[in-house]
Amino acid sequence: MIQTFTQNDVIRYVYEETSEEENLLIQDALVHDTEMLEFYLDLVDLKIGLDTSYREPSSRTVDNILAYSRNFASKHQTSA
Amino acid sequence: MERIHVNDSELVSRYIQNGDEHAFETLVRRYKSKVYTTIYLIVKDTYVAEDLLQDTFVKAVDVLRSGKYNDEGKFLPWVLRIAHNMAIDNFRREKRYPNIVFEDGSSVFNTLDFAEDSIEEMQIKNETHNHLRDLIKRLPDSQREVLVMRHYEDMSFQEIADATGVSINTALGRMRYALINLRKMMSKNSPSYDTNLYAE
Repeated sequence: MIQTFTQNDVIRYVYEETSEEENLLIQDALVHDTEMLEFYLDLVDLKIGLDTSYREPSSRTVDNILAYSRNFASKHQTSA
Repeated sequence: MERIHVNDSELVSRYIQNGDEHAFETLVRRYKSKVYTTIYLIVKDTYVAEDLLQDTFVKAVDVLRSGKYNDEGKFLPWVLRIAHNMAIDNFRREKRYPNIVFEDGSSVFNTLDFAEDSIEEMQIKNETHNHLRDLIKRLPDSQREVLVMRHYEDMSFQEIADATGVSINTALGRMRYALINLRKMMSKNSPSYDTNLYAE
């Protein structure tokens, strides 16, 4: 029986949502299907790009959050 | 910089039980970028994203300190859920009252209020990463939503399907178009570049 995979399956594979059995079949399919292999490589490349595209909030915002937590604690102790 | 990696549950426990502020600070610094990027990609405004990031962690503090935190859940997914809900609420409100947004993602009103930060915003270090985020912002809402939920919020496709009320195949299809459209936009310098985006 020939198992055919779709691009959706490859997306699930890249995001590690496939079973071990599916992994073996998809890996085998990628070797024999150039188009699917290109899609897979594009996807991996994009995923790496997304992984490194995080944005940093300002230090002022982080300081405000930490200050809120500290003040919460002191307020709680005062009212206790 | 964290010298020894203490897991999230341990840090949460130290914060709740001992009021360990360093534990909370470690959690904030560990996840601020991930939470902030998630919010930013939904609301598409740097200043609103800063506010919502603050609101998210303020709510987290309130819940953690009040003893209402359910330890069964993991810290990051829990915080991301708070952030997601706040961002979506804001996004829906803004859709009712459209704002003027500049190309850098900042609102005209915010820029007027915080001119100093606007200059900071212009000092962007990594153009490639910013470029990719800009491209994500251009995706159709339904595709951007799935991409952010899967990639930045670590939700499974089944969880996304349940949360958005569609089938898993629809969620996967939206993700596929999101990724294909991103790829197309990234290769726009290619002679064969097709400027049309797949709708769904």
